[in-house]
Amino acid sequence: MKVVPSRSSEWVRPVTSQKPASAIIEIDRVSQVFQTSARKDHLALSNISLTIEEGAFVSILGPSGCGKSTLLYIVGGFVNPTSGAAKMKGQAITGPGPDRGPVFQEFALFPWKTVLGNVMYGPRQQGVRVAEAEAQSRALIEMVGLKGYESFYPKELSGGMKQRVALARTLAYHPEVLLMDEPFGALDAHTRTRLQNDLLNIWERDRKTVLFVTHSVDEAVFLSDKVVMMSKSPGRIREVIDIDLPRPRRRNELLLDPRYQKYVVDIERMFDEVDETGSVS
Amino acid sequence: MTSPSALARRAAPMFACIGLLAVWQVASLALKNDSFPTAIEAIRAIPDILGDKESLINILASLRRMAIGFGIAVLVSIPLGLLMGRSRAVAAFFNPLLMVIYPVPKAALMPIIMLWLGVGDITKTLVIFLGVSLPVIYHSFEGAKAVEEKMLWSGAAMGLSPLQRLVRIVLPAALPEILTGCRTGLVLALITMITSEMIARQSGAGNILFNALDMGQYDTVYAMIIIVGAMGICLDAVFERVRARLVRWSEPQFDMPLSFS
Repeated sequence: MKVVPSRSSEWVRPVTSQKPASAIIEIDRVSQVFQTSARKDHLALSNISLTIEEGAFVSILGPSGCGKSTLLYIVGGFVNPTSGAAKMKGQAITGPGPDRGPVFQEFALFPWKTVLGNVMYGPRQQGVRVAEAEAQSRALIEMVGLKGYESFYPKELSGGMKQRVALARTLAYHPEVLLMDEPFGALDAHTRTRLQNDLLNIWERDRKTVLFVTHSVDEAVFLSDKVVMMSKSPGRIREVIDIDLPRPRRRNELLLDPRYQKYVVDIERMFDEVDETGSVS
Repeated sequence: MTSPSALARRAAPMFACIGLLAVWQVASLALKNDSFPTAIEAIRAIPDILGDKESLINILASLRRMAIGFGIAVLVSIPLGLLMGRSRAVAAFFNPLLMVIYPVPKAALMPIIMLWLGVGDITKTLVIFLGVSLPVIYHSFEGAKAVEEKMLWSGAAMGLSPLQRLVRIVLPAALPEILTGCRTGLVLALITMITSEMIARQSGAGNILFNALDMGQYDTVYAMIIIVGAMGICLDAVFERVRARLVRWSEPQFDMPLSFS
């Protein structure tokens, strides 16, 4: 795994896998300027370069306003960077596509569709026949733990259930990369933990590439192979930390593991440093 | 489920109607004015109007114009409003035009339209069209503007083109708001229908009403008001049923405070 760090080049990933992982996403000197008012420009992202390897679970961690979601949106093709470019498998990203599936904090489900209708939407759009799309979708709904809720509308579901539907809806069209934008940010602590566990279980089956934006240190360490720590004003990559913890990870074992604890403590300290306001949200 | 309170709630509109009629009856008897018939006299005149073939043809002609005007207005206004809500350029182009048209009473435009298009169906239908369009455009616009960006992004990631997103995401997502506009539009269609027939007196329900007024048949005047009012209530109730069915998936914040269903 090769990462192009913003500052430190001494960082080298310990070799854990023999086969050379290939880069799936390359972010090359991306900057993003937002015009906040007629006079002032806000530099949301400054010269970000990052390579993400196929099959890696990478978290982007940082304080509010560091541009971590913007970076995700650029990879998604929802936002065009002011300068620099993002590439997916060597191809410049010019817009959204089914190879990159987003899951948003706001769920963004289609409220007029049932759970099944939401999950089937992507496959149907891709031209999968109704019967086949339905069978696949039902299996996915069962996988995310919502069997029996197929005919429910989103408004009838809790936040955690909605996010499960959103995950199933995105998995349904088989994106090569999952783009998760603080997906558990709107959920209560207990639901959040359960969804983290379930996401990890699902992920460990097929090891899709995941880019996961969060401001929770535990979440980032628990889930990721690699944590990209960002600082704000302007948004920069401060550090890329390899999380060298064995998989499959089980929460009850990991929380007691001194290595896990050290990662959390170290990264939290780093987080305090980058977030001058001191309000770790 | 027929607890006494629920029963009372269901019967309440009925009591309100009976109460109104009773007040009317008493007021009319007390005033003893020729131009103010009693409620019973007015109600007795209703079967005469509805039994008369000529009147019935007139009323049906009114309803036909209203349906055509309303239908065309909805078909034009929803796409326009949605486009305005999703495209700044389209909104910037149409907004000034609509701002000018908005405060003008549509009936005030009738003399001009009559000069150009005569006093026939086209003029009246056009006035209904104008009356219905604005609320439907406005609500479609607001509904489209409020569609969550992330919902559109989710659609884009699935491979929906901009046009597909407009039809398959913006339209259904804005539907509760659009239907609110249509409901206002429906009542406005009834109002502009009667108004247009007042100005271009040739046929229609409004014509019956004003002819009766000219001839001093006050019971017919009041009977027509009741008929038109009842038409409005029925149309609105039917529409509300359809609306509620179409958007039963939506969050309750879209529910109407007033409903006759």
